[in-house]
Amino acid sequence: MHMIGRAALAVRRLFPALVLVLALSGGFVFAQAQQEQFTPQTEDPETFPEGDGRDDTFYTCSACHAFKLVASQGFSRERWDETIDLMVDRHGMAKPEAKDREIILNYLAKAFPPKASPRGFQNPFLKQ
Amino acid sequence: MTKRERSLEELYRDDPERADALLYNRKTGTSRRGFLGGTGVAAMGALVGGSIPFAQNMPVGLIPAAMAQTPAPAAPEKKGPTYLNFPGKDKGLVVIGDRPLVAETPEHLLDDDTTPTSKFFIRQNGNPPEAAGNPDSWKLTIDGEVNKPVEITLGQLKKNFKPQTLRMVLECGGNGRSFFSPPTSGNQWTNGGAGCAEWTGISLSNVLRMAGVKPSGIYTANYGADTHLSGDAKRLTLSRGVRMAKAMEPQSMLVWGMNGKPLENVHGGPLRLIIPGWPGSASHKWITKITIRDKEHDGPGMTGTSYRLPIRPMIPGTKADPKNFRILESMPVRSIITSPANGNKLAAGTRELKLRGAAWAGDLTVRQVDVSIDYGQTWIRTNLSQPKNRFDWQRWTANIKVPSDGYYEIWSRATDQNGKAQPHISANWNPSGYGSNPFHRIAVLIG
Ligand code: HEC
Repeated sequence: MHMIGRAALAVRRLFPALVLVLALSGGFVFAQAQQEQFTPQTEDPETFPEGDGRDDTFYTCSACHAFKLVASQGFSRERWDETIDLMVDRHGMAKPEAKDREIILNYLAKAFPPKASPRGFQNPFLKQ
Repeated sequence: MTKRERSLEELYRDDPERADALLYNRKTGTSRRGFLGGTGVAAMGALVGGSIPFAQNMPVGLIPAAMAQTPAPAAPEKKGPTYLNFPGKDKGLVVIGDRPLVAETPEHLLDDDTTPTSKFFIRQNGNPPEAAGNPDSWKLTIDGEVNKPVEITLGQLKKNFKPQTLRMVLECGGNGRSFFSPPTSGNQWTNGGAGCAEWTGISLSNVLRMAGVKPSGIYTANYGADTHLSGDAKRLTLSRGVRMAKAMEPQSMLVWGMNGKPLENVHGGPLRLIIPGWPGSASHKWITKITIRDKEHDGPGMTGTSYRLPIRPMIPGTKADPKNFRILESMPVRSIITSPANGNKLAAGTRELKLRGAAWAGDLTVRQVDVSIDYGQTWIRTNLSQPKNRFDWQRWTANIKVPSDGYYEIWSRATDQNGKAQPHISANWNPSGYGSNPFHRIAVLIG
């Protein structure tokens, strides 16, 4: 909190226009958004499987879409690797550095291994 | 203070430069200030709901205020479906993804002959544009391999051409994806990425003729007004197209009305394409431009393994060779049981099941629908209706005797006019999960 406060102060001195945008973006820009627009559920990294690199992965992979899109898949490490390439090549994700890629890949492969889709046929009478 | 705020702050507090590098690929420049790479600025802009001027001067480690002020606390990840809460939409729709918004219609909510707009599935690929203030001034451009490029407003389309209304199925290309094993990537649809509505508009061929497609014009390239999820204005969300023969079919339409009302923003209003029978992504929402090309279109969603099927069947779960793929055109045959609902409990002593459902088959018609209550050992033919017009779905009914109380699974299987039936399990595995159309399977309990 402190760090952010200080940084914001410095910015305010140097770049008043930026501060204005940031200050307004919380209220004004959102208020302008049409009524019809859907408000996505806020996500929290702590609601996803624990493991090293969880937060890094969460923030990297939820910049564009909900992390749920990631968490609803179950892949081998190789296919997660391909998925990262797909995000970079097709969707313009910033190419992660080798060290970061390793952290993300380790987490994804461990937290979301191949599994049956949770959305296929499920016996409705076996629910708790 | 919400949890997310704290986590985000923690990430920045521990190592702001690393946090920036991870989130936005922002690197500290030669000066003490950081700079944002192209996508990074856009991504951050998307998150705060607007563009960030002077982004290049933004110090590393600063969290945009809007991101730090997360509006609502996160709900704990729960088991079971998340139901949609959206104005005008049925509360029974199931959210598959909420950024971008993707919601499907459980089969039992597809029990109406015409799917009401309130129950119609939603598939967004990017950030939808704001609802048009003056729909009639919405502009559509036809250019490329044409004699006379056309720029025409929705108001003029309505005035200059004779409108038509057709009831047609619109189906997401990935419908049924969740039935693949091993699982495939993308939205995990069951059978609910489909609906059948009354669409009002004109044949696309009207405006294509007006522009005069040259003999060299063989493919469309469709563009819409939604923006890429990253917030990068230069990046297209999706741009697919179809062969000219499909574009010229009388049922391929420019649509501004759905079920007798102006087409809603959430469904691509004020103007969208409906290319019936083919993956929904060809039915571009918020359509602004159609460029006629002299070769197969190669926009996002046309290449790699997107909306494509393997030519030579591949080992499920292995790495795909994009050269072994062809474009998915007509959707495969599919049937659903719309009543009873999966999980229904029926009174003890019930000896007859009254079944209702629907079936459709992309470009084709459905020849028959059969149901089984003994895991496919015996099949019973249902009564199948005729489509109202081409690309309408066909409703079916059946009354089935059950020998005793107990647990029953009901399976339905449709066969198209060429004799191709739905398979028992998803066939022709592919990494992006297209073409999955196994039998519909539900369970009921008697007594
Ligand atoms: C620059 C934006 C961006 C970032 C960052 C990003 N993605 Fe994506 N991702 C997309 C877009 C766009 C789609 C397509 C969404 C759609 O069609 O609904 C997508 C789709 C997906 C899908 C579904 C597969 C498919 O083909 O539709 C998966 C899985 C996925 N992303 C995983 C990840 C993972 C893992 C990360 C982090 C390493 C990540 N994404 C980061 C933009 C991004």
